[in-house]
Amino acid sequence: MLKNHNFIERSIMGALSFFKESIFAEECASQKGFLQSLDPRIKAITFILFILQILFTKDIIVLLCIYAACLLLAKLSKIDLGFFLKRTWVFIPLFSLFIAVPAIFSIFTPGAALITWRVGGITIIITRQGLEAATLFVMRVITSVSFAVLLSITTKHFALLKVLRLFKIPQIFVMTLGMCYRYVYLFIEVIENTYLAIKSRVGIRMSPQRGRHIVASNIAGLWQRSYQLNKDVYKAMLSRGYSGEPLILDDFKTTLIDWLWLFAVLVVNATLLYLRYRTA
Amino acid sequence: MDDTIYELKDVCFSYLGRFPALRDINMNIAKGQKITIIGANGSGKSTLLQMLDGLIFPDKGCIKAFGKELKEEIFRDDGFSRDFRQRLGFVFQNPDIQLFCPSVKEDLVFGPLQLGVEKKEIAKRLEEVLSILLIEHLLDRSPHQLSVGEKRKVAIASILMINPDVLIFDEPTAGLDPLTTRHIIDLLIQKNEAGKTIITSTHDLHIVEEISDIVYVFSQEKKIVGFGPPDKILNDAALLKTNNLVHIHSHRHKDKIHIHPHLHLDHHTEG
Ligand SMILES: Nc1ncnc2c1ncn2[C@@H]1O[C@H](COP(=O)(O)OP(=O)(O)OP(=O)(O)O)[C@@H](O)[C@H]1O
Ligand SMILES: [Mg+2]
Repeated sequence: MLKNHNFIERSIMGALSFFKESIFAEECASQKGFLQSLDPRIKAITFILFILQILFTKDIIVLLCIYAACLLLAKLSKIDLGFFLKRTWVFIPLFSLFIAVPAIFSIFTPGAALITWRVGGITIIITRQGLEAATLFVMRVITSVSFAVLLSITTKHFALLKVLRLFKIPQIFVMTLGMCYRYVYLFIEVIENTYLAIKSRVGIRMSPQRGRHIVASNIAGLWQRSYQLNKDVYKAMLSRGYSGEPLILDDFKTTLIDWLWLFAVLVVNATLLYLRYRTA
Repeated sequence: MDDTIYELKDVCFSYLGRFPALRDINMNIAKGQKITIIGANGSGKSTLLQMLDGLIFPDKGCIKAFGKELKEEIFRDDGFSRDFRQRLGFVFQNPDIQLFCPSVKEDLVFGPLQLGVEKKEIAKRLEEVLSILLIEHLLDRSPHQLSVGEKRKVAIASILMINPDVLIFDEPTAGLDPLTTRHIIDLLIQKNEAGKTIITSTHDLHIVEEISDIVYVFSQEKKIVGFGPPDKILNDAALLKTNNLVHIHSHRHKDKIHIHPHLHLDHHTEG
């Protein structure tokens, strides 16, 4: 029982700190690699082009090449490949298992039998078409997720927020998003600290009833606090002259490398497009 | 020429109409003065400063700033509102609230941008403020990842960027190491010598003398129980003691324990 309790406790704290680290870590973004040196606007545009390319291509070789390019970019940006692979493949089970795995079987994707199993009275056939479709799907997911993750870890989040603004998303949304991000962090800290405070006052041994009570009253307190915080932050904004529409400094600068990179990506994309139409 | 900036007359305020936070406050503040507000926790210091900054308004009584009565309605006038915000800078007690932007740099430029300061001027001020507070290396960091002292410096910097005439600080030295405290105090004095009005709340009696022309003492009843020049207030041991501003220390002198009230002014001159 006690072990169990500790296990849950550890996993909750673990999840919190994982969340904090993976969303809020800015180490990759502050390293001096290739992608970090690009202008965030141009980087975002080129990455969107890549992702579109990935979604429309049906050729697994092309996908593999784009994926290799992605890993190469990660390497050039001084990102630990082990870390990067772990972070991107985490999404695969979530996104694709339920969609991709059934697709390889003959009931869902009819075609030439590749492997045939006989379990009891039922024959299970894995078809070649099914397997191909599933591989294609997994490759698509992993490649596009990799690009998205690569963009987000090589760009400081405030720069990403500014890029959103560039794509004509209203200021107030961007500002709110930024503040959510900022205060989610604060709340994680509050939760962690409250937990520690409870633990130091009550000790680890606590009746489940009492535990539930404390947790419940803390959640209520948290809502209360978030409401108060909201009011106070609004005051802080007013105090510095906010009057309804926040203005944000636009201080992006492009360099020659940005334009060369953009040019290169456009050429690659145009070539892929041409090849696709020729073969089609 | 009228040098009065603030005039408060019988000001009362309570939160949600239930929790009294200020009672019958009378106060006059003139241009270029250094004002300090001391008082125990919960005596209404922050509430008063927020009122001076036009963020909350009296339930009863009247507050005038720059010759105009402060009321919720007059802040609907954009011209007045901008002018008022431009003249006043308020450093909140809690820097976590004050720093709401995703990066330090954006927080620093937030004020002047909203107030329509030109880009060139903003860049100039930024350079200046960074060099005064020595926070250049924090520019691209997220405010939430800074230490308490760093946050406070950034909060102060974000106000200096506005370049206001009146600077209001709510416990500017809480949680700072002695050297940083010194640095901040020097900054306040320097700003005052440059003609700015400085209003500070604090518990730290060490710093009171240097940063005040007039000290106001707030009581647990949320009233002003004394005011005057710092030497007079700081020597009024009874007043300070009844208002939780000095504490009883026990000292060990040659195996004997002495218990006596201890003013945090000079460090153990008795040896
Ligand atoms: N948001 C609020 N809602 C209700 N009551 C409040 C609120 N903020 C402050 N109070 C109450 O108003 C009184 C004055 O609070 P205030 O924050 O002004 O004190 P303070 O002198 O700044 O204290 P401290 O030294 O702890 O910062 C306190 O009794 C407090 O409980
Ligand atoms: Mg206070």
